[in-house]
Formats: sequence, structure tokens, C-alpha cells
Amino acid sequence: MRRRSSLPVTFLVPTLAILLVLSMVPTLYAIVIALQNRELSSPGYSWVWFSNFADLFLDRRFLNAVWVSVKWEIVTVVATMAVAIGLGVLMFEVASPRLRNFYCLLFIIPVLLPRVSAAFVWKFAYHPLYGIATYPYRLITGGLIFDPLSKPATALFAVASVDVWQWGLFFAVIVLKLLETLPPQPIEAARLDHAKRWQIHAYVTLPMLKAPLISLMFVKMIESLRSFDLIYVMTRGGPGVATETLDMYAFSQGFIESGKVSYASAMAVLMMIATVITFTMLWKRVQA
Amino acid sequence: MKPYRLRPGRLIAKAVLALAGFLAVFPLAWTALNALKNNVDIITRVPKVVFTPTLANISYILGRDSVLTGLYNSAVACGAAVLIGIVLGLPAAYAVARYPNRFAGDIQFFVLSLRFLPPVAVAIPLMVIWLQIGLYDTLPALIVTYSLLTISVIMWLAIPAFQGVPKEIEEAAFVDGYGAYSVFWRIALPVAARSLIGAIAFSFVLVWNEFLIALMLSSSNAKTLPIVASELSQQGMNVPWGILNASVVLLSLPPLLFLGVLSGFLNSVFRQKKS
Repeated sequence: MRRRSSLPVTFLVPTLAILLVLSMVPTLYAIVIALQNRELSSPGYSWVWFSNFADLFLDRRFLNAVWVSVKWEIVTVVATMAVAIGLGVLMFEVASPRLRNFYCLLFIIPVLLPRVSAAFVWKFAYHPLYGIATYPYRLITGGLIFDPLSKPATALFAVASVDVWQWGLFFAVIVLKLLETLPPQPIEAARLDHAKRWQIHAYVTLPMLKAPLISLMFVKMIESLRSFDLIYVMTRGGPGVATETLDMYAFSQGFIESGKVSYASAMAVLMMIATVITFTMLWKRVQA
Repeated sequence: MKPYRLRPGRLIAKAVLALAGFLAVFPLAWTALNALKNNVDIITRVPKVVFTPTLANISYILGRDSVLTGLYNSAVACGAAVLIGIVLGLPAAYAVARYPNRFAGDIQFFVLSLRFLPPVAVAIPLMVIWLQIGLYDTLPALIVTYSLLTISVIMWLAIPAFQGVPKEIEEAAFVDGYGAYSVFWRIALPVAARSLIGAIAFSFVLVWNEFLIALMLSSSNAKTLPIVASELSQQGMNVPWGILNASVVLLSLPPLLFLGVLSGFLNSVFRQKKS
């Protein structure tokens, strides 16, 4: 048995104190700013209390941004999980151990790239005239132009595809590793019962992995909130406001267009409240 | 397991996998190729595979002051933040892993919940604060802000790493008369080193790739490499594409250096789970 020691106190207290200060100061200050009417251009300000929040709910561009963010969240999370489970199961089924390692290495590469790099790589690939990803379309149609990033109907999906390229492939590796940790007996038993390959996965292996897969989805939901870099580089929220998520809109209100820092902060505070409540509830459910 | 006959389904599955593997690396490889092309070879309707390579783009990038400053800022900001993350995060993680108390669950949740905070919500007030105390657009401001990220991530990943150290080894050291601190230094740290290096590498990649906070907290002096690269790409459609591609390659290289370490880390995490 280990003796009583000062170690937990000396190791924990400074770190937790610093984390608390570093996180609570900006959080509380964000709320303070949101209740004022600060602007970047002028040093003076006064307290306006909740009028920024009231304005937000009348701001159609804000409501659009909420809707775009929700769409982004759903599209990227669902597509990432589908790609991850699909490729993970395929690797488990048809790839030899050596091939699995090789694919795992390849599939980790996109997620390591800075989002700015990934965004740029694909922005150029989607270029209507010179892009490599639009080349097959030009080849088949004899030179017609397809510009996914400048059409409101396709822009969000084109940006989301980059997110899925990064995270879906990476999660496929994790799904494979999870499948490898399963005991072989249930799979053998199902096979003896003449279950088909897809049936084994749909009814045996994936249900066994329900808890870790839900945790994985949870991680992806958190990471999907960080869409800013991709959207900033690829579309800047455009065309129009078709890809303007909440963080993009907050940034352009606070810094590009009008310098309304307080208005932007009110938006950020609403985002913070929504995400903290949602994820705390989800986390408690995942843990239970 | 008995071998399965070769069926069309298996062939299709292998083809899909091969396609996915191709899609994973091809866009990046193409960018690297474009970095070696003259502009006339990039702006073609039919992609060119055969061309006369040039090093002009790369030497242009490496000769630009803005890029070199960005590289320096990124290296210092990320290096310092990771160092602070190690010094503060690892001991705290060890205390949570090895000295369970009734707050352990709450501490873990608090550390994780820092990841829920939208970066805009942190960056806007911090910008105002740094402006007020005159540290806006400086490296120390960026380092302090990034430390929040590195400490929490390193702590979160190091807790399971320390829990993976066999308890018996530590108990034996106690019996041999080691104190609590030297058990941490001489036993837990070296035994868990492999996983810990993975956790540290992960936190480095995270801050190296960070964009939004750096964008909001710098205007000229403290710009990191991602900001410089994104500014190059915002120069409209007449940009020298080759130079852009070269800057993307430069930005992407450091995280890719950790590919081996991180895939090893992933393997060790799941091996632990299995046993």
C-alpha cells in the first residue's frame, strides 16, 4: 500500500488552478462583453444588457447560420460514421494483416494535415477549370464546367466532403481496431448458423461495439463544431450565406464586416451554452 | 477460420478499399507534384503528369520573410505550449490515475469539457483582454492561450497511459523504499513513455494545425504558419498556384513527421483495451 503523500496535492492543484483560470476568465469575460456594446473601432462602451441577444433572434442571417450549422453537424457526423464503419468492416473482412497495416497508415494521413492544408488541397482540386477532382466531369462531358464550391446547392457538401475525407478515413482505422479486439467465438457461432457476412456485422459485431461507436460519434460531434478553418479557406461562408456557420458569422460580424465585437460575443455565448448543455447531457448518458 | 472462395463481392470490396486508399493520399501527392511545376503546367485543362520540374516555388517560399517568420512563430508558440502542457499535464494526469479521490470523475469531465468550448467563444474575449493589457499580437499571448489546449489534451490522454502501467512495478518500488515522487520519476514516466510520447505528439499536431485562435490573436507580428499560408491563398484567382502548393506542402510536413509515432500510439491504446 502506498503511504500518504503530498504528491496528489502538489501535482494536481497548480495544474487545475491554471486550467480553471485559463478557461473561466475568457468564458466569463465573453458573457460580460456580450452584455455591452463594444466595437473594434471605438474604445468607449456602455452596458446594453440583453439587447444583443434580442437583436440576434430578429437577425435572419443569424437564423440562417444556426440552420447551416445544424446541417453541417448532421451531414458530417452521419457521413463520417458511415464511411468509417463501411471501410472498417471491409478492411476486417478482406484485407490481410499486412495490408491492414498499410491501409491504416494511409488512412491516418488526411487527419494529420492542418485543416488549412486540407482545405487548400481540395479547393484547388475542385477548381472548375484546372482542378483534378473536376477533371473526370470535364472529360466525360467534353469540357462542361462544374463548380461545386460556387453553387449554393453543392457548396456545403463539397466542404463537408473534405471533413469526411479527414475524419471518416481516420475513424475507419479505429473501427477496424475495435473489431480486432472482439472475441472470435460469437462470430464463429454466427458463421456456423450460416449467417451471411453482412448479417454477422449487422447483428453481432456492430451491436457488440455499440458503446465505443457511440463514444466515437460523440467525439466527432465535438470535432465537427470546429468547421471554421475549412469554411474560411474554401468558401468564406459563400456563395451568399450558403455555408455560413455560426463561428463563420460570428467572425465576420466581429472582425471582417462591422467590428461589432459584442454582437459576435453574444453569438459565441449562445453557442457555448448550447454546446455545453448538449454535450454534458450526452456525456452523462454515454457514461451511464 | 476457414478460407472463403473468391467471390465477386470480395473483389468489389477490395476495389472499394483500394479506391479509398488512393483517395486518401492522391490529393496530397498531387499538391506536392504541383509544387514542383511551373505555372503554365498547372493551369491546364487536362492535368499534366509529365512536365519539367522546377524548384523555383520552393525556393521562393523559403526565401519569403513572412513565411520564415510564420515558421518561427509556429515553432516557438507550439513548442512552448507543448512544453507547458508536459510540465503541468503529466504530473496532474499521474495524480488522477494513481491517487483516486472522490473528485477524479469530475476532474476528468472538467478537462474534457474544455474541448466543448467553441473556439470563437474563447478567442473573442481573449482578444479584448490581450488588447487591454498590451499583449495582443505577441507570442506570449498565443503561448498562454495554446497552453489551455495542450494541458487539457495531454492530461486527458495521459491518464489512461499511466493507468496502463502495471501497479505491481510501482508497489515493488515503494517496498524498495522509493518515495512517491521518485516512483513517478523513475518508474511511471519511463514505463509509460511510449504512450506518453504519442499523447504529446498529438497535442503538438493539434496546436500546429490550429487556425481560428491564431487568426484572431495576431495581426502582423505573431502570425503562425497556417495564417500566412491562408493569406497566400486569398490573393484572388491570379495567384501563382505553384507557390501556394509549395506553402501547403511546407505547412503539412511537420504533422506528417509524427505519422509513425501516432499510428504506434493508436496501436498501443487498443492493445491495452484487448488485454
